[in-house]
Amino acid sequence: MNLKNLTNGLFKENPIFVQLLGMCPTLAVTTSAENGIGMGLATTAVLVSSNLVISLLRKLIPAKVRIPAYIVIIASFVTIVGMVMEAFLPALYGALGLFIPLIVVNCIILARAESFASKNNIADSVLDGVGMGLGFTLALTVLGAVRELFGNGTIFNLSIFGAGYKPALIMILPPGAFLALGILLALYNVYQIKSAK
Amino acid sequence: MKEIFKTGVVLLIICFVAALSLAFTNEITKDKIAEQRMMANELAKKEVLPAAATFQDVDEDLLLELIESYSPIIEAYIGYNDSNEVVGIVFKSTPTAFGGAIEVVTGIELSGEVTGLRIGSHQETPGLGAKAADADFYAQYAGKSTESYIGVSKTAASGNDIQAITGATITSDAVTVGANASIDAFKMIMETGGVGN
Amino acid sequence: MENASIFVIMVSAILVNNFVLSRFLGICPFLGVSKQVETAFGMGMAVTFVMTMAGTLTYFVHHYILVKAGLEFLQTAAFILVIASLVQFVEIVLQKLSPTLYQALGVFLPLITTNCAVLGLALLNIQYEFGLIQTIAHSFFAAVGFSLAIVLFAGIREKLETSDVPLPFKGFPIALISASLMSIAFLGFTGLV
Repeated sequence: MNLKNLTNGLFKENPIFVQLLGMCPTLAVTTSAENGIGMGLATTAVLVSSNLVISLLRKLIPAKVRIPAYIVIIASFVTIVGMVMEAFLPALYGALGLFIPLIVVNCIILARAESFASKNNIADSVLDGVGMGLGFTLALTVLGAVRELFGNGTIFNLSIFGAGYKPALIMILPPGAFLALGILLALYNVYQIKSAK
Repeated sequence: MKEIFKTGVVLLIICFVAALSLAFTNEITKDKIAEQRMMANELAKKEVLPAAATFQDVDEDLLLELIESYSPIIEAYIGYNDSNEVVGIVFKSTPTAFGGAIEVVTGIELSGEVTGLRIGSHQETPGLGAKAADADFYAQYAGKSTESYIGVSKTAASGNDIQAITGATITSDAVTVGANASIDAFKMIMETGGVGN
Repeated sequence: MENASIFVIMVSAILVNNFVLSRFLGICPFLGVSKQVETAFGMGMAVTFVMTMAGTLTYFVHHYILVKAGLEFLQTAAFILVIASLVQFVEIVLQKLSPTLYQALGVFLPLITTNCAVLGLALLNIQYEFGLIQTIAHSFFAAVGFSLAIVLFAGIREKLETSDVPLPFKGFPIALISASLMSIAFLGFTGLV
């Protein structure tokens, strides 16, 4: 067990800011901080479960059919998470819509299965899943908060700028997703360049 | 040959276990999901017609006529109070707004007063048309009279006019189309003898 | 949407609800395979081919197997398996029948399995309650919309390569901001249908 596996995903190898994986849900559902955190946690749940099971079965799954096997396992967990969400968090389920089943094709999950869980023991794989999942959640929440702040004047539905603020609607519309992520990535690069010096 | 056989069996077992666990989750969450959907529906009906305690579907012939001649109405319910007297009718309509169909639930009391209106599922633009689902907008419909149609004003609400959402006139118009279709249907039902007690 | 005409579906899928720029489906290949117009065009063709077939196939799987057997909850798992097998199958057939076409599209095929545009399309077709003809039309035109977006974007990125971009914006940040401007342009189409 190595605790480094946990912190890796959060910053150094953050799936969004560094690896640029899983862009579709990142851009689509981050119209508010709340949606970002919900999507992030749903993905984390799938990622941890699939990492756990794939690591458990890593010696049993024949190499030739490993990808189909992974896809079946991931798809099952996605469906389970979807059903549980619809039963107990219907509002969030409605807001995330199509992007819940689409967690299946989120590259992060298959990438971690292939490059980490299939080669490491169970404890490390779970830690990796938690770390990567939370890194993903963090990025989504930040992006959601930025878009919500400028596009609606609120964060987590709390008014920040007061009633006089005329929201920049473009931030909540599709172009705002590209714009906000582009600027966040640039800021991240500025930080990287500064700390490298 | 033996290799292929083994591979096939492993894959089969994985698929089998996956399907089994999905069926199991489905079994547990099925009722809860159905209940959530029904509750959302019931809640909307109660909110738009507070005087009613229970609701019943209108009879099939009437519903067919409503769907046929009073588009975009798709459902109608009769509301009964605690002593089982008819107090009003709730209509569900799906007019077309900016992002496609939008679900409008309208409650009308026997006296001819619109007692409430709620927005169900919609795909309006966040921050613009989506504001139709905010209380600030839909509350305007409560208390309007069925004597005349409800109008849409861009500047200020007055008489039987509601104030449109700034920048989302199409959405405001669409909701009003749903409300007015309900008014038409309500008048027709009243003129043809009402809904028996 | 159930009764939408083919023309409405076409305008909606290509311009108004463009898969990439307004629905955010297929962003990975959109950002990953858009450095050159030529490869972007190849990716677009491969996606069009697979999406049209996958959309049609999943229609049959849903209506004639899942619904009949009361197994709608297996939708996601069944669809992704159908798509993965289809992609494999197309790859093998292309290799045998048309080596030239395989050379042009082959490298893109494996990437398509995890392209969320394909699964998203299959799920959307069912959600909109499309009939068979509408399903085929929507699948094809959605893919055309994807191709249009990725080819246009590649054109912009080719120019960006030679521009003097501030260091922190080099690479993905400036690409995303360009995509944002394209998305604003496509926003002008909303309300057409």
